[in-house]
Amino acid sequence: MYGWTGKILRVDLSSGRVSHIDTSRYVPQLLGGLGVAAGIAWDELKPGVGPFDPENLLMVMVGPLTGTLASGAGRVEVAGIAPQQRPSRFSRSGMGGHWGPELKYAGFDGMVVQGKAPRPVYLWVHDGEVEVLDAADIWGTGTYATTVALRAKHGLRTRVISCGPAGERLSRIAIIQTETGSASGQGGYGAVMGSKNLKAIAVQGTGGVRIARPPHFLGICLNASREGMSPAFSSPDPRKPGGQPEYGPHHRTRKCGFCMTHCTHKIYMNVAAEGGSGASTAAQHCWGYDASHRAHIEGRALTSDYGINGWEVSYGIIPWLQLCRQHGLIDSVDGVEIPVPQKPIEYMRDCAPSPAEFLRVLLNIIAFRKGPLGDALADGACYAAERLFGGRGKPLLDRIYPRHAGQTEHWAGHWGPGGNIYWPWWLPVMLQWCVDTRDPANDSSHQWTSHVQFYLTQSGPYRGPFPLEKVRAVAAKVYGNPDVCDPAFEYDPSDTKAIPAIWHHHRGMIVDSLVLCDYENTRVFSVLSEDGAADTALMSKLFSACTGVETSERELDLAGERVFNLLRAIDIRNHGRDRKVDESTIGGFMYPGKDDGVVLDRERFLHLLDRYYELRGWNKANGWPARAKLEELGLKAAADELEAIGRLG
Amino acid sequence: MANLRKKAGRAGGVPKLPRSGVVKVDRHICLTCRECEVGCSLYHEEECNPALSRIRIEFNDFVPGFPSLYVCKQCAWPACYYACADILQESAILIDRATGARFIDEDRCIGCGACLRACPLTPEMQVVYDKIVDGRRVYYKCDLCKDRAEGPICVEACPAGALTFVPARDKRKRDG
Repeated sequence: MYGWTGKILRVDLSSGRVSHIDTSRYVPQLLGGLGVAAGIAWDELKPGVGPFDPENLLMVMVGPLTGTLASGAGRVEVAGIAPQQRPSRFSRSGMGGHWGPELKYAGFDGMVVQGKAPRPVYLWVHDGEVEVLDAADIWGTGTYATTVALRAKHGLRTRVISCGPAGERLSRIAIIQTETGSASGQGGYGAVMGSKNLKAIAVQGTGGVRIARPPHFLGICLNASREGMSPAFSSPDPRKPGGQPEYGPHHRTRKCGFCMTHCTHKIYMNVAAEGGSGASTAAQHCWGYDASHRAHIEGRALTSDYGINGWEVSYGIIPWLQLCRQHGLIDSVDGVEIPVPQKPIEYMRDCAPSPAEFLRVLLNIIAFRKGPLGDALADGACYAAERLFGGRGKPLLDRIYPRHAGQTEHWAGHWGPGGNIYWPWWLPVMLQWCVDTRDPANDSSHQWTSHVQFYLTQSGPYRGPFPLEKVRAVAAKVYGNPDVCDPAFEYDPSDTKAIPAIWHHHRGMIVDSLVLCDYENTRVFSVLSEDGAADTALMSKLFSACTGVETSERELDLAGERVFNLLRAIDIRNHGRDRKVDESTIGGFMYPGKDDGVVLDRERFLHLLDRYYELRGWNKANGWPARAKLEELGLKAAADELEAIGRLG
Repeated sequence: MANLRKKAGRAGGVPKLPRSGVVKVDRHICLTCRECEVGCSLYHEEECNPALSRIRIEFNDFVPGFPSLYVCKQCAWPACYYACADILQESAILIDRATGARFIDEDRCIGCGACLRACPLTPEMQVVYDKIVDGRRVYYKCDLCKDRAEGPICVEACPAGALTFVPARDKRKRDG
C-alpha cells in the first residue's frame, strides 16, 4: 500500500486489549482521516452513546498525505461524540504540530480509543507497538509538564498529545494539546480523553510513508503555489513567506510540521505564568482582546497548559460574562472585576480588553472547576447559561452562539472573531453553518471567505487585484457558474450561494480526510497564474501520485461528498438531525452584519436553503438525504439503515 | 597507506582534494517544519521518512533557544574519506566532480562505520547514518543531491530560506 500504512490501531482501555483495523476496509472510498473516522463511527457508534460513555470512540486519525512532502501534511483529525456541542453530537476537530506524522511513521493510519481505563494511563506507541502504561505520576499535571515528563522518559523525539487538568475534570471545553503551539480545540475532546482515564498518547516512529510515484510527487509538492492565503499576505517572492521571521533568545517564529505555506506563528519561551506547571511556552494564535501583550502571552500559555479551549474563553465566555455584567447579572470573578466597556456590546469588537489578572483567575477557576461559577463555566458558556443566574443569561448567548450549539460565530460576518466579511459573501457560510455539526470555519469557510474577499475589487474596503471580469471567468471555470463571485447577485439566483457553500464544504471534507491544512487548500484564485485561477486539481494530483490510486478532481470531489453525506447520515441516525435543527441556526444571524449592517431576510434565506437541499439531493422538507443520492455515492448500506428507522429523505 | 598513495597519484603526499560545495544552515531562522527531512528522504530513498534523511532537525520548544540542524559540512580535509580509503582497496567514499560532494557509494560500502567514527562532528552532531539495505548495513550521508540539476532538494523545500547552497567556487573565494 502506498500513502496509507494499512493499519489503524484500536485500543480498548477497559480490557487493555489492542487490535488492528485494516485501513483498506475504508479506503480509497473514504480517503482516510475524517472519512475513515466517519466510516468507523457509522459501523460502531450506536445511537444514544454520550460523549463521556466508555462506548464513545476517541478517533485520532491521519490520512494518506500525512507525513509526506505535501504542504500542510502535519495535521491530525480528531473525531468522536463531542461534549462541547450542545446537544452533544458526532463531530470533528483538527490539530497541527508534529504528532500526526509521527503516528504515521510509527506505522498507523490512526487510532481508535474506546472503553475506560480502571486507573489513569497513557499510551506509548512506537514502531508498530503500543503499550498501556501507568500515568499516576503525570495525572493532575498540566499538558506541558506531561509532555516534558514523557519526553524525559521516552526520548526528545517523542511527540505527545495530552489533556490538562481541565480534561481530567471533564470540562466540555477541554482541548487535546500537542507540544506548545497546536491543539484540537473545538469539540472538547480533551474531556473525552479524561473520561477514558487517558492522560496522554506518546508516539515515536522510524518508519516512512511509501510513495507510489516519488519523482512525480516530488515535482508536484515543490511546484505547488506557496503564495499564502491572500495577495494581502503574499510576499514579493511567493516561494518564501512574507516578512522577516522574528527571533531572539526567548521568542522565535515557527511552523507546524511538514508545511511550506506562508503561515507562521511566534512562540515565547520562559513565560512565567502564575499557576502554570513551570515549563511555560506560549504560541501566539487566535486569542481575544487583552489589555497588554503580557496578558496575551500569559493567557495563551495558561490555556495550553491547563488544556482549555482558548477560542471559546476569549471569544465566547469572556464576552458573555461582559454582557452578563452589563445586564447586572454578575460583577466579578473571584473578587476580580470583569472588564466591561462603556457602551452596550453588540459585536466582539465592542468588548473590553482583559487584564492579565482577570485572565489568570478566570482560567484557573475554569480549569479546576472552582466554585459554582468555575464549575459551570468549565462546560462553556452555552451549558453554563443554563445553570447560572437562573437562566437569565441565556438570551445573551444569541449573538455569540448560533443555535446555542457550543461554538461561537466565526467568519460569517456577524459576531466577529476571524476578520471582516461582507454582504453577500456570508450567505454561503451561513448555509454551511446550518448543516454542519460545528463551526465550519475550521475546514470549509476559510477557503471561501478569504479568497473571494481578498481577490475581488468590490468586496468591502478590501481592494483585491482582480477586476470583476477576471473573477467571473475564474468562477465559471471553478464553480461552473460565473455569477458565483459577482456581488450583483444576492439571494437570487440561489445557485450563486448554494454552489460555493457545497463546493467548499466538500473541499473541507477532502482536506480533513487527506489530511491537509485548510489554510491553502483549496485555493480558488492565484496571482501567479495567467488567468487568475489557482490549481484546484492540486489535491487530486497529490493523492494520485502519493497513493497510486488514479483519481481525477471530479472523483475526489465525489469522495468529499461521500464523506459529507456519511457524516450527515450519522448525525441523522444518532442525533436526530433534521431541517428543524438546521433552521434553528438562522436565529443566530438575525441582527445587522457587523461590517455591512445588512439584516438577513428570513423568508428569502429559507428559499435559498430549499435550493441548497435540492442541489445536494436531499429532501427539502426534512433535510434528509434521498436514496438516489446515497446510492450514487456508494452509501447503499447507509440508505438502508436510514430507511429502516424512517429517516430517509 | 599504499592505497592512499595510489589515489593521490604522487608518492608520499596526502592527496589534495577539490573543494566541495556545502549546504549552509541558519538555525536562527529555521521554522522547524522539517520539510527538508522529508524532501531529502523522498528524493534519495523514494519514501517520506525523516529517519532516513541526510539532514536532521532537533528542537525543544520548552527550552529557550534555537533548533539544531545537522548536515554534513563537506570538509576540505574529509576525515571520513581518508578513513575509508585506508581500509578499502577501492574507497567507498568518492568525490563528485561537479559539486565536489564527498559521497558514499552504497554498492561499495561494507558497513564498517569507519567514516562515522572518523567524522569530527561525531557524536554530538552526527551527520553520517547507517541503514539496512537488502540485509546489508550501509552508511549514508549528504551528497549535495549531486545528480539533481536544480541542486540540493532541502534548499528548495525550505520555506524559510534557512538553507542555502554554497557552490565550491564561492566557498574557495570566501575562504581565501
